[in-house]
Amino acid sequence: MADPLGPWADLVNIGTRKAMAGLSQMIGSDIDVTSLTLRRVPVAEISGLFGGPDTEAVGIYLTVSGSADGHLMLMYEPRIALGFIDLLMGQPPQTTTVIDAMGRSALGEMGNIIGAFFLSAIADATGLYLTPSPPTVMTDMAGALLDVVTSDILLTQDETYLAEATFLTEGHDISGVFMVMPTEELLEALLTATKAA
Amino acid sequence: MVTGVIETTLSLGEWAVSNDRDGVLTCLGLGSCVAFIAYDPVARVGGMAHMVLPDSTQGRATPRSEAKFVDVAVPMVMRELLALGAMKTRTQISLVGGAAMLPNSRGNESLNIGARNAAAAQAAVRAMGLRVKVEDMGGTQGRTVRLLVRSGEVTISTARNLRAEAA
Repeated sequence: MADPLGPWADLVNIGTRKAMAGLSQMIGSDIDVTSLTLRRVPVAEISGLFGGPDTEAVGIYLTVSGSADGHLMLMYEPRIALGFIDLLMGQPPQTTTVIDAMGRSALGEMGNIIGAFFLSAIADATGLYLTPSPPTVMTDMAGALLDVVTSDILLTQDETYLAEATFLTEGHDISGVFMVMPTEELLEALLTATKAA
Repeated sequence: MVTGVIETTLSLGEWAVSNDRDGVLTCLGLGSCVAFIAYDPVARVGGMAHMVLPDSTQGRATPRSEAKFVDVAVPMVMRELLALGAMKTRTQISLVGGAAMLPNSRGNESLNIGARNAAAAQAAVRAMGLRVKVEDMGGTQGRTVRLLVRSGEVTISTARNLRAEAA
């Protein structure tokens, strides 16, 4: 397979900006994407981004199906996830101190919006049909959450393309990492479609 | 956190054996992954593998993660442990991990990679005629496991509850 970094970077860029625009609409407040980086990393090192495999994290997970199968995972430190719940529910910062059923629902809805906007942007650019599953919101050790995604990637490879977007919101001092890890199958389908487009 | 010791943390698909009396072998944040742990209390040698997937015929070997497949990892760790002086009849096995991290995978064998890893680990251990001392597999929570080479003690911990932490 040719080096897919360039075309994949373009797709991630479009998808992430669209996803954040969708999230802005949802919360009625601007969200600035302050950086967007894409790199190839060993799968085993990803949990290090969250303080290590046994550091507690909150994950919002969606599967992708349609023209190709894949995963979308949003992962946050608990502190950031609590900040998001305040943002999503229109509450002052630091109102939320625990992730209850309502908080989970709000985070799930955020996953829905981000997943739908991200995938529809990629579908528009490639002509592929990609649809997200309902979101699953999980709190556990970062490594344990990542197993959901990494076991699929490790089936055939040691490394993956990791896209990290950091963003800032008006009035809420929170930033986060939006992580996209394509499986080989999804990446190949995207690149084939990009070439054909 | 273990202090005053030499801790070797095994990432996804990594494995190690040790006869270092100050050694600790660790797998952090196991979700659907399973740790295979083998220890000979007489020779005081231990081994561990951080296994990710049940069956090597379903995937492809990769250089960074030799022990990612259960069917490859178990014989590999045992071979190296025996080379360090362990005897198979004395070796005590612990199997830890294999959780169902996704709620919709629970009860669905094909989606539940944790359950498949657990079953594969049990089968691999049985096939080699090994004796299981500790088995802590399944459930819905991530686990961290450590093996103290000096004593063979296996410690298992789970994530702190976010509610408890915030309270």
